[in-house]
Amino acid sequence: MNETHLVLHGLAIKKHATPESVAGILGLDVSVVRTTLDKLVEAKRVVEAQGKYLLAPAARMALDTEYTPLYEDVRANSAFASGYEEFERLNATLKQLITEWQTFDVRGHRVPNDHSNKDYDRKLIDRLGNLHERAERALDRLASALPRFSIYRHKLGAALEKAEDGEIAWVSDAKIESYHTLWFELHEDLLRLMRRERDE
Amino acid sequence: MTIHFGEWTIGLNGEGAPARELIGGKAWSVARMQELGLNVPPAFVVTTRACGAFLAGHATPPGLEGEIAAAVAWLEERTGRRFGGGPHPLLVSVRSGAPVSMPGMMDTVLNLGINDETEAALAEECSDLAFARNTHRRFLELYAHIVLKAHAPALDDGASLEAWHATIAAAAGAEVSREPREQLRRAVRAVFESWNSRRARRYRQHHGISDDLGTAVTIQAMVFGNLDAHSGTGVMFSRNPLTGEPTPYGEYLPRAQGEDVVSGKFTPEPLSALAEELPETHADLLAAARTLERAGRDVQDIEFTIERGQLFFLQSRAAKLAPHAAARIAVDLAREGLIDEEAALMRITPDQVRILLAPHIKRSALHDAVTLASGEGASPGVGIGVVVRDSDEAEQRAHAREAVILARPTTSPEDLHGMIASRAVVTEQGGSTSHAAVVGRALGLPCVVGCGKGSLEALAGRTVTVDGQAGKVYEGALAIESPDASDHQALATLGEWAASRSPLRVSPPTSPEAREAVDLSDNDAAADPTRIGEVLRGLTGARGARGGAIASDEGVCAALAVGLEFIVAEPVLPPLLSALRWKSEAASSADSNERV
Repeated sequence: MNETHLVLHGLAIKKHATPESVAGILGLDVSVVRTTLDKLVEAKRVVEAQGKYLLAPAARMALDTEYTPLYEDVRANSAFASGYEEFERLNATLKQLITEWQTFDVRGHRVPNDHSNKDYDRKLIDRLGNLHERAERALDRLASALPRFSIYRHKLGAALEKAEDGEIAWVSDAKIESYHTLWFELHEDLLRLMRRERDE
Repeated sequence: MTIHFGEWTIGLNGEGAPARELIGGKAWSVARMQELGLNVPPAFVVTTRACGAFLAGHATPPGLEGEIAAAVAWLEERTGRRFGGGPHPLLVSVRSGAPVSMPGMMDTVLNLGINDETEAALAEECSDLAFARNTHRRFLELYAHIVLKAHAPALDDGASLEAWHATIAAAAGAEVSREPREQLRRAVRAVFESWNSRRARRYRQHHGISDDLGTAVTIQAMVFGNLDAHSGTGVMFSRNPLTGEPTPYGEYLPRAQGEDVVSGKFTPEPLSALAEELPETHADLLAAARTLERAGRDVQDIEFTIERGQLFFLQSRAAKLAPHAAARIAVDLAREGLIDEEAALMRITPDQVRILLAPHIKRSALHDAVTLASGEGASPGVGIGVVVRDSDEAEQRAHAREAVILARPTTSPEDLHGMIASRAVVTEQGGSTSHAAVVGRALGLPCVVGCGKGSLEALAGRTVTVDGQAGKVYEGALAIESPDASDHQALATLGEWAASRSPLRVSPPTSPEAREAVDLSDNDAAADPTRIGEVLRGLTGARGARGGAIASDEGVCAALAVGLEFIVAEPVLPPLLSALRWKSEAASSADSNERV
């Protein structure tokens, strides 16, 4: 896989991103990402604003056409396909779990979870851990075809551990690489490779 | 005294609770309920000591199998049922129970004891073939998943027992025992082994919990709420969790098992229906609610099952409450003497008060309001601004200090920057678990989802008011108002209690003192809760401060850390509660320092 494509792909997932965060999600060296980004800025395929980078509209359209040929083998790989299917199944559970994390039901009314009930939170984090163990198996299958997917396994595990240790922002805070943030980026990554659309 | 079946196993017969370290949290709460005189399904526990011996010797400790057999016989005697046979089969649940709860421990296995023979007996006993079949299938799925750790697909309800076993054997890589006693042995071992699961080990290491504690295993008889007309299952709250009214509230489903209540497939009856059918049981329930509430010093959420007219308590725990109820109940419990005023103030969080006092649309403004779109209210709050259809545009216009509402067909991670910049988010497709809903709640942003395909296209460029609670998008900028703490009797009381105890004075902007405060409104760093501490440390000779993020939890903590006398904020109660929490944490860490 060439670096130009990977960096563009990383930007499509991370959107307004620093070289560090693009490198982090792809498992590339930061200096390689910086050099590639500089070239892409010069070619007007990427725009820089205050140290953050984003795709130029034309580059985004061009990138969208690259997935079909580039990942033909990956899509045909049975381990990858079964890993992806399992991920989609887990995705439904994860979304339900995060919803329960953020709100709970009181007599049919959804009430925001203010995290004052530690027992409730602890049980949900334990369920997230159980789900993570299944996700790890799916990610192993994905990584057997495309090794960079093991990065998600590592990062999701790190977010889970922080949550287990009481830093509960790492469950679903949208502004950090929380479990939910990473999960959605992983989903976006997979949807792009598989040429699928998000269903909601 | 409790019954000891030997060195490793204890029968819980209601005569005194053994030490929590020995029997684990789950069995301990069963024993506690028994001590309060409540009828709990019979249970025995394999102790943490047995776990230690198992892990040290990598094998079942000598004598344990015989003890479990004796304990199962004891359960059979107490329930009048037989394990692994008819005509009245005994099914059990198997639960892990460490002295302190931690992640990574084995999940609960339910309905262990069902096999071909007992399925038929159960079907006869409850005159429900489908129920017995379904119980069998769910047991096998749980057993495969939890005990065998096999990645088995869901079993097909219509398939034969042979097909089920073949599916699991294929996934597990080995034949599955069909003998309940062997399944029980395997389940007990799996609980012990889960003590050393990767997640559990890491958690203990991080929290300095000894690896030697071990986990206990609680084995408890299952009770059936679907046996006859005098059977059923339900949940009860010792007070109304939505309004806080001091009257028990509950739901009851006759001829049903617990999962039927949560499934939502059946509409439960109010608890009062039980008063007519089984008046004595109803009275017992109400008495138990009072007992459990006094013992727990908090509102209880109680699960119960009635089997052939006999009432069993399955679980009781502190109830989750709507913010309004939390405030009222905290005050009521203090007035009734169950807790003191300090404890009452800790029962409600600054965030709950912020939700209660959050601005809402004026009732009079709603009268002539035109609804432009409606969907599911996914994150509460009111947002007013110009509708923008694109996240980049939302960010740019927000940067130019324009209030924008992001309206998208759906959202994805690519929209995060646009969402952060917006006053509210509205989507055409998706429900309460969609990306927009989840991220909207994480950002504390009003959010309405699922307004319908194409429903938002015509709104671009128009000013709207979004109500994330009601799930409505209204035309124009509607008038909003903030409720006052004095509108809520309970909040007013909590406000008085908090003000008299707070280490920091919180003054409303109208107070004379407010003019003496240093105003941080124009300081960018002070608007950021993570940086307001730096700003306050740079102030010299200030007695009070106002503006920026001073009223946030972080702002209050920073103000206390630099020794300010007061801050200026409205409403005053959330920062007062933050200050009290700071004080209580400071006291408890001073306490633990002394002990060290």
